[in-house]
Amino acid sequence: MASLLQPDRVLYLVHGEKKIRSSLSTLYFCRYCSELRSLECVSHEVDSHYCPSCLENMPSAEAKLKKNRCANCFDCPCCMHTLSTRATNIPAPLPDDPSKTAMKKAYYLACGFCRWTSRDVGMADKSVASGGWQEPDNPHTQRINKLIEYYQQLAQREKLERDRKKLARRRPYMPLAFSQHTIHVVEKYGLGTRLQRQRPGAPITSLAGLSLKEGEDQKEINIEPAQALDEVEPLPEDYYTRPINLPEVTSLRQRLLQPDFQPAGASQLHPKHKHLLIKRSLRCRKCEHNLMLYYFSVRIMSIPNLRFQKECQVLLTLTNPVESITHVTLVGCEEGDPEDINSTAKVMVPTKELVLAGKDAAADYDELAEPQDFQDDPDVVAFRKSNKIGFFIKVVPQREEDGDVTVSFKIRHDFRNLAAPIRPSEEDDAPTEAIWLTHHVELSLGPLVA
Amino acid sequence: IAEHVGKAAANIAAGAVVCVESEIRGDVTIGPRTVVHPKARIIAEAGPIIIGEGNLIEEQALIINSYPENIMPDTEGVEPKTMTIGINNVFEVGCVSQALKIGDNNVIESKADLGKNVILTSGCIVGACCQVNTCEVIPENTVIYGSNCMRRVQTERPQPQTLQLDFLMKILPNYHHMKKTVKGTSTPVRN
Repeated sequence: MASLLQPDRVLYLVHGEKKIRSSLSTLYFCRYCSELRSLECVSHEVDSHYCPSCLENMPSAEAKLKKNRCANCFDCPCCMHTLSTRATNIPAPLPDDPSKTAMKKAYYLACGFCRWTSRDVGMADKSVASGGWQEPDNPHTQRINKLIEYYQQLAQREKLERDRKKLARRRPYMPLAFSQHTIHVVEKYGLGTRLQRQRPGAPITSLAGLSLKEGEDQKEINIEPAQALDEVEPLPEDYYTRPINLPEVTSLRQRLLQPDFQPAGASQLHPKHKHLLIKRSLRCRKCEHNLMLYYFSVRIMSIPNLRFQKECQVLLTLTNPVESITHVTLVGCEEGDPEDINSTAKVMVPTKELVLAGKDAAADYDELAEPQDFQDDPDVVAFRKSNKIGFFIKVVPQREEDGDVTVSFKIRHDFRNLAAPIRPSEEDDAPTEAIWLTHHVELSLGPLVA
Repeated sequence: IAEHVGKAAANIAAGAVVCVESEIRGDVTIGPRTVVHPKARIIAEAGPIIIGEGNLIEEQALIINSYPENIMPDTEGVEPKTMTIGINNVFEVGCVSQALKIGDNNVIESKADLGKNVILTSGCIVGACCQVNTCEVIPENTVIYGSNCMRRVQTERPQPQTLQLDFLMKILPNYHHMKKTVKGTSTPVRN
């Protein structure tokens, strides 16, 4: 499988709208269409919200209320790392007897990366470990909320009027334009109701029950227009002559992460609650089912020195992830293959079919098990270990360039779709049919050695 | 018979815990309550090193008083410069320090690299993997962190690691042999 440091040595070709070549760790498999999918040919949906540090799942409504922020975790305003709570013992006077002092625990926030502490900005230590920390209030919150309410009401009124007109004039063959317009209006100013992603041609069901409720009293919200001031606060006298205290100046990033205050001085940087992350659910665009990760992989094991125009053997391994026997055939790319654009070397793949034993979870513990007897051609198969097989391919680099030597071939194997629903009408069929899948694989074998 | 071999002796004060597996070369003086872990290296090539008390030098740390790059070791007339390290410093695992003057209460985190021309004052924290090879005096209570070696000033200096030092001074002798320390006024023992 692709490793963290060398992700792109084995690439698979995905037949989507665009032909994408990427390594297996970034690809998905739709088991109903039996095809590889990459991130570009799937549709994303928000599945749930969670906090990256305390892993608390939050329903979407609650997340929206809290502005997509976690209630317990904080970010360091200086380096955006997660803050941790530390405790110290401070002597504090006992409530009963002010003359005696006892050790009480005081908690403060500290960053492990840049050593920022909450005491740096003057936040007092709290006596409770969590829940005591408050974000400072924005002085403009009230005005902003009032403005938002007013505009939401305005948008709702506009939408109702528009829809009333359209409902009267709607023709049955114009659903597409209608639905896109409605989605656009509803999302204006974030009105809270989320329309499902409408597929072209589907009727709009959400508007069926709409009608202007005359009896509902709508609060008339009036806002005062913003007032322009003539006089501005003058700059301090030493603005041009005062030397800059560089550690005190906040960087742009630090400033813009707090858009409410945008403090210019580091002593006003307060910690903010941590932003929530989204767990995506990916759906195949063609069949709308969820995807799974693909697990049948080719790995490069060892590469000898590659010399120009000299034939050398490269050892590859194939791992069989399922419990049944899998047959794999490798086919080289023919001349003029439209998918074969990147290879810079000729490759000779073994022509015989390779058989891979199934994955046996108990094989490690079962010492008396007889090794399965596959007649292996020693020229082709280097070793065989439970469900792994190592085999040779011959590579002749064709081009004397500075880049990597790439070879490509097609790998064809059988796949049993265990997860597909069994159709009860066809009872004579075997419950698991094997489908033959073909993938185009490209290997990047490294630079040439002179 | 104990021999006093002039420059090649390490002068370890009583109360310091220095493991035998650490490599100490040259004229090195180590103050009391300092702990030197195994595989730490303190090399005084181009001059003596004086280490104060209460320091914590962890594994694979390298404190080296080396010759400047353009001077050969055999050049005549080169004054040996003394490297001074103050009290309560922490040299974490794998750090490299060539700074000639280090004050008190500093923390040099793992794999940090201090050049020859840096002078650390007090309360500084050099972050992990940060390379500081400028020619400057780092002001007090500075924190150097991040891959770009960003800096900021903190309001309080890092606390001395007294708990950790006490623990190590009790536990390390259970598992390692210690280098011999100087007792009173006797001549230094060659290790």
